[in-house]
Amino acid sequence: MVSADEEEERKAAIELFEKKIRPVLVERCYECHSHQKGSDEGGLRLDTVEATKKGGSSGPAILPGDSERSLLFRAISYSDGKLKMPPDRPLPDEVVRDFRRWIEMGAVDPRTESLDSTVPPHSLDAKQQWAFRVPQPQNVPEVQDERWPNSDLDCFLLAKLDESGIQPLGSADRYTWLRRVTFALTGLPPTMEEMSDFIDDPQEDASEKVVDRLLASPRYGEHWARHWFDVIHYSDTSGCNSDFPVPQMVRYRDWVVRAFNEDMPYDRFVRAQIAGDIVAASLPHPTSQADRNAWTIATGFIANARRFGSRHGDYPQHLTIEDTIDTLGKSFLGISLACARCHDHKFDPISQQDYYSLYGYFHNTQYPWPGIETQPTPKDFIPLIEKDRFEAANDAKQARQKTLDKEVKRIDQLRKDAKDETRAELDRQFAEAKQTADAHAKRPLGIDFAYAVTDKGTREKVRVQYKGDPNKPGPEVPIGTPSALGGSVSDCVEGSGRLHLADWIASKDNPLTARVLVNRIWKYHFGAGIVPTPNDFGKQGKAPSHPELLDDLASRWMDSGWSVKQLQRSIVLSKIYQTRSVGDPSLESNDPNNILLRGFRRQRLGAESIRDSLLAMAGALDLKQGEPHPFPKQQDWKFTQHNPFKAVYETNLRSVYLMTQRIQRHPYLGIFDGADPSTSTPARNVSTTPLQALYLLNDEVVHRMAEKFSTRVQSWSEDPRGRIQFMFHSAFGRPAGDDEALTLEEFLASYRGSGDSPQDENAWSAVARSLIRSNEFVYVD
Amino acid sequence: MASKNVIPRRATLRSFVAGSLLMPAILSELLADEPLDRTEHPLAPKKPLFKPTATRVIFIFSNGGVSHMDTFDPKPALLAADGKTKGVGGGLSNQQRVLLKPMWDFRPGGECGTMVSDLFPKLREKMDDVCLIRSMRSDDNEHANATLAMHTGSLFFSRPSIGSWVSYGLGTINQNLPSFMVIASALPYAGTQVYSNDFLPAYHQGTRLIPGQEPIPNLKARTSPRDRQRLELDLVGELNRRHWATREYSPDLAARIQTFETAFRMQTEAPEALDINDETDETLNLYGIENKNTESFGWQCLVARRLVERGVRFVEILDGSSSSNWDQHSNMQDHAKRAKTIDQPLAGLLADLKRRGMLEDTLVVWTTEFGRTPGVDGHNGRGHHSACFSSWMAGGGVRGGLAYGQTDEIAATVAENPVHFHDFHATILHALGIDHEKLTFRFAGRDFRLTDVHGRVVRELLV
Repeated sequence: MVSADEEEERKAAIELFEKKIRPVLVERCYECHSHQKGSDEGGLRLDTVEATKKGGSSGPAILPGDSERSLLFRAISYSDGKLKMPPDRPLPDEVVRDFRRWIEMGAVDPRTESLDSTVPPHSLDAKQQWAFRVPQPQNVPEVQDERWPNSDLDCFLLAKLDESGIQPLGSADRYTWLRRVTFALTGLPPTMEEMSDFIDDPQEDASEKVVDRLLASPRYGEHWARHWFDVIHYSDTSGCNSDFPVPQMVRYRDWVVRAFNEDMPYDRFVRAQIAGDIVAASLPHPTSQADRNAWTIATGFIANARRFGSRHGDYPQHLTIEDTIDTLGKSFLGISLACARCHDHKFDPISQQDYYSLYGYFHNTQYPWPGIETQPTPKDFIPLIEKDRFEAANDAKQARQKTLDKEVKRIDQLRKDAKDETRAELDRQFAEAKQTADAHAKRPLGIDFAYAVTDKGTREKVRVQYKGDPNKPGPEVPIGTPSALGGSVSDCVEGSGRLHLADWIASKDNPLTARVLVNRIWKYHFGAGIVPTPNDFGKQGKAPSHPELLDDLASRWMDSGWSVKQLQRSIVLSKIYQTRSVGDPSLESNDPNNILLRGFRRQRLGAESIRDSLLAMAGALDLKQGEPHPFPKQQDWKFTQHNPFKAVYETNLRSVYLMTQRIQRHPYLGIFDGADPSTSTPARNVSTTPLQALYLLNDEVVHRMAEKFSTRVQSWSEDPRGRIQFMFHSAFGRPAGDDEALTLEEFLASYRGSGDSPQDENAWSAVARSLIRSNEFVYVD
Repeated sequence: MASKNVIPRRATLRSFVAGSLLMPAILSELLADEPLDRTEHPLAPKKPLFKPTATRVIFIFSNGGVSHMDTFDPKPALLAADGKTKGVGGGLSNQQRVLLKPMWDFRPGGECGTMVSDLFPKLREKMDDVCLIRSMRSDDNEHANATLAMHTGSLFFSRPSIGSWVSYGLGTINQNLPSFMVIASALPYAGTQVYSNDFLPAYHQGTRLIPGQEPIPNLKARTSPRDRQRLELDLVGELNRRHWATREYSPDLAARIQTFETAFRMQTEAPEALDINDETDETLNLYGIENKNTESFGWQCLVARRLVERGVRFVEILDGSSSSNWDQHSNMQDHAKRAKTIDQPLAGLLADLKRRGMLEDTLVVWTTEFGRTPGVDGHNGRGHHSACFSSWMAGGGVRGGLAYGQTDEIAATVAENPVHFHDFHATILHALGIDHEKLTFRFAGRDFRLTDVHGRVVRELLV
């Protein structure tokens, strides 16, 4: 048993160690005397209790209770003839005094790391995992049939097929290719006109013209932004228990659409989302406010992190930061960093220290406050006007508030002193003035804001949180990027240092960034990635089917300027992209899962493309961009966990513009495997459920759109055959065969003969509904 | 297989006239003779790991936090300390407040003599069938977090619901109805997350059934008469057959064809399951459907029985919602109003299942997100209290007549045999023949479980 006094004394000594000693050891000594840095000069390590006690080649570093005879103290006080540490410049006097006091108090050392646990796991073999080496251009392999490939990309694929003795499939017909490439690049089906233009185009570059037209279409950015939103779990609400709306989030949405449409180089796309606010502040004059705003708005990526709970007093900010780090790791780097929140990553070279080093960037970042049950007023959004204009507007509002408040006080005083006969009138005036003042306080500034982040202005160090619990702080760690992945300590002296993080990710030396993005693009085109686990390139992920191809694409892509459109162009103009769809993959026993890609993989349309196609066929698709959501006015928000915000806004805009809630699934997207708005979705589920069938059988929207479609059909042509051709082109992207046309005519006759309302338009609507429900409508070959 | 790629001679006219004759033929053609692993429906019944004591679950959740010391956990010491001693109280169990006595008397129920308060006189009579747990524990005093945890094992993050896990683990018996159904008139705390499949495939999503005109979305045929819908489906079938025939074999195409047939049958089968007109007056009375107070919850209980009877694997009944529930911060007397709406139906459900021989293999679970504080909140109410609360199970291999675990003298903490929500989940899965550590799903590079890295099967609760 220890006495209460002893316990008190020990507590004081621990406090001294944590506040004054440990930070100095970490900052000034570990560089040369710790295992993590791989350095134990003089045989001395100071990073664990055991090692510190053991000392180095000159003997024990510390004799508890006796500072004068402790080598460590003699060295740092420069009182030893030979040993003077740190060698570059002595520690400040008060630090030396702290060390003396600490040793005199018994050199109490609460560190719990053992000699072994401070070794970052797998740090030595990090480079042995293929994905952690920087990708290099590869030699293009030789192939047996040199006439087959369109490009190097095809050679890499064909060489592997050659090795397995597999022939690639023949080419798909022109209709199939056009429908495939149109859905892939824009998420919409080709129109009648686009079909006839391409089919009738005899020139050799017909395909290239199509691809260039599609890449230049505004629909392209909308479709690819939606893919990005899956990865970063975009949402228009905060995710707290009351799920507060974030009306400003659409600015980030529109920024992403524009970035894809303008083919923003991917390295810039990354830097903008992680540190756009810092870039914006450093742009030279004259830069337009709109340009600065674009950079700022991009950090909506960080602001988008999920919010939790219902309270503001003890708001769990560490969980929001965890969500940021998790999304950052999965989306840009293809690794699950979150595992290292509670312990060193079991499989990848990310230690818990690395995790909290990353945490430091976001700890010093000001996230916007979207509102929460107990503190519903949003704050810390970023104004999208010049700083002085914002301040002026703010000052003006405050000044007006002051005047109004003064007036309230004045009348209040008057009515307190007033006689009975004037009292009633003054009461009325008081109520009126109070109402005016309160309304003014609630009124927004009339300035546009972004849901984005900024630096807090602090440079606080962070500590490891044992088991991810912020109430159990461990050793302090420097802010920086994971060393095993070529990262470094951030040398920034003020601010969050996020630009350091952004530069590390958006660098040609980062082994993961380019590979991960190239693989995603590949996955969206071919249905599966070269690495089948797009969010996990670590040891737990699956190995690439074509590592040389991936590395060649990634390295050349970086060298040629990170252009996403160019990358896509090379993919969709490849020979392999022209091949027929593989039906039953197991028919090829050498490659039963078509991993080697001897032919295209048939894919089901995503929820958004099904809906957008339906609207497009009906002629009802509204192609407006950048529309805000019709949220209730902020002044009226009274959301609680008892009555959370919940809304579904009907619209004929493209599905990328549907209002997406974090914790309530959109009813349609929920049924059709839409992305999970609360975590990164690397690949959509493809489920087949009766609820989907019921939707297509009976939902009001389907019936309404089918009727509109049938109206279009009937005005297209008087001739039933012409109508049938129009319907097949619209729904399936191809003409109807004679026997198919006959089948439809027979159906029309049967349908008119059934029921009690033999109107013609009913029968055409019935055909429309049937086409919408069929497999060919929702599958792309 | 190759022979199937030949387009059969066109013989469609007959099929359009003959209606549904065509589809079964196509289906058998598409699905016959295929190896099981390729065509097996993802919801096909699966064999549990070991012999289960229950094959289906009715999971009843009372929203808002039901007070344990006023219902299932008698505390005489709390009577004596009323208004004198201080104990944990306030809105979120984070203050010291004077203690508030339980408002209702406790009496023994059944032959086992388990003490239950006068809030549940009817249920009390069934205590020989009920395995009561008085030592439940959770980790958060916020409704939404605690509700999410009780359903998914996770306080903050979205994870699959227990019903989705069971569907994923066991499949379902009747392919014409969803495997996991939730009967809820309004949404609970944490919204649709409580019955979400999250990263599990969408087959395992809870299908919400809303008492009223249209319990399942899009169930009502919009095309009439039915022959016409049949004609349309036959045309879809014909288009699909051609599409399929010009492509090589593809199980996903076949599966999708099948869902339209299921949906077509669901249009009649699901309303039949929901139509209680064929129940006797005596049964309706048993569930309290004739009584205004109990009508609504009674309907939920009766439909739950009808659904599990028809092979639905997991049915959840939500009592109350995020805006109207057991959350009595200022006046505990409102507990009496809530209890009156569910006491008779709960007792009726147990009695009805028993006499039909269904209680033997149906696990009935009743729970809530947390208990309430022994110290006062507001004028005469109690706050949120996750440190201890009561829940119960019945049927499906649990020990009826048992009262397991204890809280301390004033019901502020668990004193003996704690049952954390992870343990609770592990035990439910165990009764179904599932090892909670083995039912995993790989997502984002990790094997996820309902019980995360925790959970202990509380074998003492099981026969």
